[in-house]
Amino acid sequence: MNPITLSTRLSTRLSLLALVLAALLPLVLPKFLVLQLGVALAFAIAILGLNLLLGFAGQVCLAQGAFFACGAYTSAILVTRFGVDPLLTLPLAAAVTACMGVAIGLPALRLGGLQLAILTFGIAVITPQLILKFDGLTHGVTGISFEPPRPPGWLPVGADTWLYLIGLAAMVICVLVMQRLLAGDTGRALRALRDDPLIARSLGVNLTRVRLSAFAVSSAFAGLGGGVYALLNAYVSPQSFLAGRSIEILIGAIVGGITSIGGAFLGALFVVFVPEWTADLSPALGGLIYGACLIAMMLLARDGLAGLCLQMLSALKSRQSRIRSPNRTAAPRPAAPALTKSE
Amino acid sequence: MSLLKIDGLDAGYGMSDVLRGVSFNVEHGEIVALLGANGAGKTTTLRALSGLIRTRGRIAFDGVDIAGLAPARRVAMGLAHVPQGRGTFTEFSVEENLTLGAHTVRSRRQIATDLARWYEVFPRLRERRRQSAGTLSGGEQQMLAIARALMSRPRLLMCDEPSLGLAPVITQEMFAIFHRINEEQQTTLLIVEQNADLTLRLAHRAYVMEVGEITVQGTAGELLASPDIQRSYLGA
Amino acid sequence: MQLLVQQILDGLAAGAIYGAVALALVLIYRATRIVNFGQGEMATFCAYAAWQLVQWGWPLWLALAATAVFAFVLGIVVFRFVVRPVSGAAVETIVVVTLGLFLLFQALCLWLWGSDQQAFPSVFGSTAWSANGVRLSAATLGTLAAIVAVALALGVLLRFSRLGLALRAAASDRDKSLLVGIRVETMLMFGWGLAAVVGFIAAALVAPRLFLSPLMMAPVLVYALAAATLGGWDSAIGAVIGGLLIGVVESVGATLLTFIGAELRLLIPMAVTLLVLLVRPAGLFDRKVVVRV
Repeated sequence: MNPITLSTRLSTRLSLLALVLAALLPLVLPKFLVLQLGVALAFAIAILGLNLLLGFAGQVCLAQGAFFACGAYTSAILVTRFGVDPLLTLPLAAAVTACMGVAIGLPALRLGGLQLAILTFGIAVITPQLILKFDGLTHGVTGISFEPPRPPGWLPVGADTWLYLIGLAAMVICVLVMQRLLAGDTGRALRALRDDPLIARSLGVNLTRVRLSAFAVSSAFAGLGGGVYALLNAYVSPQSFLAGRSIEILIGAIVGGITSIGGAFLGALFVVFVPEWTADLSPALGGLIYGACLIAMMLLARDGLAGLCLQMLSALKSRQSRIRSPNRTAAPRPAAPALTKSE
Repeated sequence: MSLLKIDGLDAGYGMSDVLRGVSFNVEHGEIVALLGANGAGKTTTLRALSGLIRTRGRIAFDGVDIAGLAPARRVAMGLAHVPQGRGTFTEFSVEENLTLGAHTVRSRRQIATDLARWYEVFPRLRERRRQSAGTLSGGEQQMLAIARALMSRPRLLMCDEPSLGLAPVITQEMFAIFHRINEEQQTTLLIVEQNADLTLRLAHRAYVMEVGEITVQGTAGELLASPDIQRSYLGA
Repeated sequence: MQLLVQQILDGLAAGAIYGAVALALVLIYRATRIVNFGQGEMATFCAYAAWQLVQWGWPLWLALAATAVFAFVLGIVVFRFVVRPVSGAAVETIVVVTLGLFLLFQALCLWLWGSDQQAFPSVFGSTAWSANGVRLSAATLGTLAAIVAVALALGVLLRFSRLGLALRAAASDRDKSLLVGIRVETMLMFGWGLAAVVGFIAAALVAPRLFLSPLMMAPVLVYALAAATLGGWDSAIGAVIGGLLIGVVESVGATLLTFIGAELRLLIPMAVTLLVLLVRPAGLFDRKVVVRV
């Protein structure tokens, strides 16, 4: 699969524009929407991690929700038990989750795509049970609640806006990390791993290291996203991390476009807002419409929303600068061949 | 009436056409060779005849226009195709491959008879009947592919570069079999090849294809004698 | 000792369920190279349809037979209009589509019949036998027998019949199959139709025990996936044996390893599956052969 790319200059300009707009959004949007966007950002970070693993490294991992939960709970526990400053827990959450990612990546080395998917799906399913089991640490069903980080004195923003900006900053960091990773040797190694492991190995790519690195970074992202999620809600409980969460992140990744960084945002927005809208449309039929939406989306936009956007962009471009191509049947025949035609 | 008559065939993959206005015919009981260099469009022609790609133009098989027919229908009508790279089902056994070749045959007795017949002609296949086809050597796979195509008792057998990757001795054997089935069963053959010399000695007539068009046609003898052909395709 | 035997029997009963759903999953995979995550929910939907017919006064056997036909048609329709349009797309796209089917059918059941559990009539009645403190119900025995029979029938069909051969060939390579005269589209549709019927049979056998509800099959899916993986995704009987193994291991393991407790029951079959895969990556019954490059 070809990664979806725009020309670098256009891409940078768009990104900067998007960033500025995003930072200014809290000024115009109601508070609850800002918070929801923050949640979408948390998901987008986790989705970005999955894009790395699935879209670029070709590893089908369905346990992203479990990593998400790991990060969220790490943050919550660090804040409540060890009094760590909430912002500081974010990198720690990422680090702890990265270890978990490597732990899962190790047995994954031996498994093929389908088996890896199923095994990681099992991990996703068992996560809420594990949370319940170790209730000494996690407070089981009741969950952990804590004080969300307050905005610093010198910044005149509301509490919700501060949380949103934290999420935005985390996202920006992840995007930059992702871009650097994909641009260099690591990016090439990842693509080699995805497209043809056999050839990659023969070219000297250390598959084990690349794979484990992909797992580590991907889960670190998910852990970071989980940490942000915890801070935004100021509360974690097993209910938020059921198997459906992993599916949600997966859907977000694929709907957005798994080889697209921008797609991570689009996918996150999709999974955060669309189920709500369809439920609003009709409480009874909500689930039905969402499922139908999902299927319709895949039928129409195989490379996800990002791919759709790019298609529309290129269609616009070609309409602006269209040159009529000559009619095929009127094209001149090639020059007479060397051999003479015998009757 | 020709067994196969193609008129103004255009075909291609996606946006561009590979074949442009191709016309030729194959008569009952003939062996016709389709020669040409790589990329000339020979494989595309066979794929078009089998219905694997979209076409414009007329394809008449025994008078019936098959241009709009599904591939499976064309096989049922007696058109068999041994693709480039053999087209054997590598995960299936030799016998399963042969049985699959007879998919369009209703009579179990006919299938059993034909199995026995081809095991006799290709004893090595009988030895390996339960083996997975992927474990056979190149030459054996080619024999399997041909036998498989013949299981449907086709009226026209098309082969795409059967000698590709085979040792000369095996190729000779294979061409001898072609000759045999043409003589004994009147099976019409359309053979696509880059190996012009051997093919021209087997065939009755031949066409040469270049850049998606037929550029030369004639009897095999004429082409063998032509100095231009000698130069371009026989390395003389 | 009695406890162990009881555990094993209970495990077999649960395992039969896992194996049944795994069977449908494997069938679709062998026929179309797709894992249909919505298989369980489609089966639940059909079970509801049968239940509804019984509610309207139909005799049980007629309701089941009619629904089996309905299931076959449903499988074909789903394949034709939802799966085939994306069949050329990347694996992930197909995954999302089948997940969409999962959500769609679950929501459909919820919408049409509500979330309350319903009692589903059992084909085998409610007799049970006790001997030496060990209890075995007719339903368990009947379910086991039925699943094994279906698996054997499918196995024979796929491995030894011309139709089965054509089905497998169509799934293996489309172009090569077209060249031997196989109607590939028809085969794929047939495969989905057949798998839908097998799924329905599984649901109908299982619903009396689990009680019919829109969420009935969802927990089973993970076990079924593990069972199919254990069996190697290549063998009908392997899927069933995988399911039975997982059922027994889960049942016996949960009692032996008391620290695991009720919540982590899934851990045992997962651990077993992982161990097996590390030793034999292709699963227990896979028949993959090395192909000459």
